[in-house]
Parts: sequence; C-alpha cells; structure tokens
Amino acid sequence: MTNRLRTAALATLAIACIGTATAADLKPEEQIQTRQAGYSFMSWNMGKIKANLDGNYNQAQVEAAANAIAGIANSGMGALYGPGTDKDIGDLKTRVKPELFTDKEGVGEVAVAFIEAANNMAETAALGDEAEVKAAFGKLGESCKACHKKYRKD
Amino acid sequence: MRIKVWDLPTRVFHWTLFLAVTAAILTGLQGGNWMPWHERAGLLILGLLVFRLIWGLLGSTYARFAQFFPTPRKILAYLRGYWHEEGHNPLGALSVFALLLVLLFQALSGLFSNDDIAFNGPLYDLVSKATSDGLSSLHRQGLWIILALVGLHILAVLFYKLVRGHDLIRPMITGWKPAPSDGSRAASARGGPLWALLLALLLSAAVVWIADGGLLPPPPPPLPASSLPSW
Repeated sequence: MTNRLRTAALATLAIACIGTATAADLKPEEQIQTRQAGYSFMSWNMGKIKANLDGNYNQAQVEAAANAIAGIANSGMGALYGPGTDKDIGDLKTRVKPELFTDKEGVGEVAVAFIEAANNMAETAALGDEAEVKAAFGKLGESCKACHKKYRKD
Repeated sequence: MRIKVWDLPTRVFHWTLFLAVTAAILTGLQGGNWMPWHERAGLLILGLLVFRLIWGLLGSTYARFAQFFPTPRKILAYLRGYWHEEGHNPLGALSVFALLLVLLFQALSGLFSNDDIAFNGPLYDLVSKATSDGLSSLHRQGLWIILALVGLHILAVLFYKLVRGHDLIRPMITGWKPAPSDGSRAASARGGPLWALLLALLLSAAVVWIADGGLLPPPPPPLPASSLPSW
C-alpha cells in the first residue's frame, strides 16, 4: 500500500516536473536575452582565467571560472535559437547570421568542438598545471572564435 | 644604365609591413592565445605606418608623397599614356594612399577593440563598451577591404611583369631599376638623410609606446582573493 502510494506520488511529481519544463519555454526575445546573458557570463569567466594567467595564479578561482563556463556550455544553449530568434526584436539586437539556422551540420561541428574545449578547460583547471591551463584556455578561445567567424555578423 | 628608386628604409618598410600584415591576419582569424601576437603585429604595423608617413615627408625623392601624389591631371595623363616618370605611377599612388589609410584605420581601431572572448586592445579602457564593439565590427570588416587592396596590388604587379614586361618586384628588393630605354633622363633618388631616419624611428617608437597604453595610469593591483565575497 505504502509502496503504491509512493509510486503514485513519484508519478505525480514527474508529471509536475514535465509541467514546469514547458513553463521554461521562453518567448523569442527571452531566448535571445538568455543566450546573450550566457555568452556575457562566459566572457566574464574567460576574463578571470586570463587575469590569473597574466598575474598571480589562483587555482581555485580558475577552476571555479572553468566550471562555470563548462556548465553553460553543457546547458543545451541550442534550445535558445528557436523560431523567431533569427533577427532583431524591437530594440533587442542579435548578430546571429541566418546560416546558423540552416547549416545544421556546420553548427553541430563548432558546437561540439566548443563543448569539448570547455570540458577540457574544466578538467585541466582541476589538475592545476598553469602551462596546461594556458594551452586549454587558448584552445577554448579559438573554439569561441570559430563560431563567431561562421555564424556571427561582423 | 640603372637608377636608384627605392631607398633602404622604404624597402625595409615595405617587406616588414607585408610580413606584419600577414601575421596580423592569421593570428586575428585564429584567436585564442594568438591574440597577444595579433596585438603585437598591430602595434608593429602602426609603428611602420607612422614611420612611412614621416618618411613620405623627409625621405628620398621617390618615397616622398609630394613626388607621387595622384592629382586628377596626373591620373588622366597616365591613362592616356603621357606619363613617363619614375617612382609610383599615378594609379599605383592611389593604391598606396588607399592602403596606408585603410591600414592606419585598422591599426587605430584595433587599439580600442575587443573580441568578446578574452581580449581587449591596449586602449580599450578609454572608450565605452558600445564604442569598442562598434570599432571591433569595423575592424573585422576592414579585413575584407585590406584583402581586396592587397589582391589588387599583387595583380597589378603581375600585370606589369607579365603583360608590360616591367619587373616591379626586383627594384623593391634591390632598390635599383634599369634606366628608361627611351633615353629620357631620370635621376636616382636623393635625400633621406640619417637624421631624418632617426627622427622617423624615434617618433614611431613614441607613438607605439602611447598606443600600447604608455600614458595610461597603471592598472590597480588585483584585489586579494580574501577581499572578494565568498559567494
């Protein structure tokens, strides 16, 4: 009896979770704002890693910054490029190129390369060797640039 | 008979600029840890351009802007086949000035640019983020103008070599070219004294120092980690 009750409760909870998942659907302008917030937040963390590499190296701060970037990279940001997010909405500007919405294969390549570089950055930062962190940081920056070159307007 | 057209500083300028622009394009497109090298290449280009602007006033005969400034009259005469002088021809002179101006804009805009990843130009702090973003956009678009102008420059050199039978590359390496075969008198380059060279180098170095943030107040020391909130 208690088992059946527990199952029923879990099932209700699961349905409730699915319900909140649909509530997380964002309007096109919210999708643009959210993805831009993600890139800005990653940029802040990139800047922290760079400052550490240029000055006094603080392993804990670098690791935290790298984890933040990896977390965003693995958050499924592709979902923020939904229908209607391919051009400016009112005062909200986006510099995304139309190719991002058509070139699925190319987008997949740069996205996977970026996620791998972000994961590698986090793993390397946890180990703490400064020279290796610098190399991982360079590779991560290049993976950002690779996407900017292809899918962001100059 | 041969005549001296390009003095040594002009030739060193030309080939160093070629190498520095190539390096700037490759490092800029690659990004990541190449960006500090992109900055160095850009500062070198700025220094070279300042040098060339001064050398265009104080250098030897054919390096001087006044000697080859492309007036409409000169361009028309050249297109009709009446122009027979040494140095940059009026069309080539147009290309020289266009390249100098575009590269100067590129070098200056780069000082204030950012790449939205982890790189800021050395004078980024002097402007707002919006201004920096605007200049960064123009800086990225400038690449295509530079590629077009350099492509045109190389095609023109090939045209003179293959169609007209004039080798323009060798004189840019050795400084010398054969005297005109029609017997018209042409003088070798004169002037460009050592003091002018030293002055040009000194001023270029000063501009590069300023462009690299030499006059900016030193950045505040980073806050110790303990002063940051723990959340």
